[in-house]
Amino acid sequence: MSEFYEGLAEILEVDEAEVTPERELGENWDSLAIVSTIALIDDVYDVQVRPEKLAECKTVGDVEALVEAHRSESGDA
Amino acid sequence: MAGFGASKHLSAHALPTRIAAVATHLPDRVLSNDELAALYPAWPAAKILDKTGILERRVAAEGETATDLAFHAAEKLFATGAVAREDVDFLILCTQAPDHFLPTSACVLQHRLGLPTSTGALDINLGCSGFVYGLSLAAGLIAGNMAGNVLLLTADTYSKFIHPQDKSVRTLFGDGAAATLVTKEPEGGTASIGPFVFGTDGAGAGDLIVEAGASRLPRSAETGLEAEDAAGNVRSRDHLYMNGGAVLNFSLREVPRAVAKLMEQAGTTAADYDRFVLHQANKFMLDALSKKLDVPALKVSRHFERIGNTVSSTIPFVLEREIAEGTCSPGTRMMLVGFGVGLSWAATSITL
Repeated sequence: MSEFYEGLAEILEVDEAEVTPERELGENWDSLAIVSTIALIDDVYDVQVRPEKLAECKTVGDVEALVEAHRSESGDA
Repeated sequence: MAGFGASKHLSAHALPTRIAAVATHLPDRVLSNDELAALYPAWPAAKILDKTGILERRVAAEGETATDLAFHAAEKLFATGAVAREDVDFLILCTQAPDHFLPTSACVLQHRLGLPTSTGALDINLGCSGFVYGLSLAAGLIAGNMAGNVLLLTADTYSKFIHPQDKSVRTLFGDGAAATLVTKEPEGGTASIGPFVFGTDGAGAGDLIVEAGASRLPRSAETGLEAEDAAGNVRSRDHLYMNGGAVLNFSLREVPRAVAKLMEQAGTTAADYDRFVLHQANKFMLDALSKKLDVPALKVSRHFERIGNTVSSTIPFVLEREIAEGTCSPGTRMMLVGFGVGLSWAATSITL
């Protein structure tokens, strides 16, 4: 997940070391962060997640679970 | 050359037509990031530039319409001497901000531009895919011997649809217009337009929309009620709304497919193209698409820093600049891809 964490750290404007599954997405989890995360997930995993699903995520782990769910479906969101 | 089936056979042809000249026009008023940052505390000017790649955009004045911008772009094109008014056979105006419900804005422009009454004129209502669609109609009219010179005008004033407190779209869109002359390529010439790939997904109609103000939902006190979304953006149903994530997903899904399909139909590979002119949505979109398409970054045109996303005019703005700079010249092979509101998309190959 390192490439993903690296990108997520940039989006959340924190150090990569701070990105853990428990990490709260917090105040910076706005529409721009969500759009950026869609592009990151598409780039790293080649899957597309819906913006409203990402908006419901509270932690980094929630985002990872969403990605995993889409990867196992291996299709578009 | 690819293509055995009827539809492939039809679309595999490069039409003996050419983009002979391009001129553009921008309204005077500049809307800078500093001005926007003063309205949006969470978004300093540096962040707007970093995320969008846009420093400033232009905004039409009160009472200045898309038709006015298109008029000035056309006048600039005539001033170059590329074509005489009396030689224009057909006028196509692509806009989503017509002067009236009726008559057709292109008809108003025929008279205002002093074009002969023998000119055919019509509007097409498309956004970011509009230039490529307009080009397909122009090239088709010429290849079908229905016209020799087609004036394709693209113009929009999205600023008038945008709520001042909606940073999600106000940072991105700019007003502007372009005039493109499409002509017949003489026998033995090397310029061409086509083949074309088209696509439409109306299921995403609500992802980029001005919901109220036309026939389905006329403006009323109710549609004008403003609400603030989770990100602090304010708008009503009279204003432009964009679901940025959904539009990004659509673009990442359909643009690579359209590009692959076009190359299959044209019998080309990415290496055959000198320039890739994608709709200039913003830096973020172009970064994501360039990565996904796996084409050399230097071949991917970028022209939005000082004008923003001018909707159907982004591609001709690129063409005008690259022709002026010498990046493009006769013989240059380019891929043009428009995509956005509709949802709608189209791609084509051209040789200048």
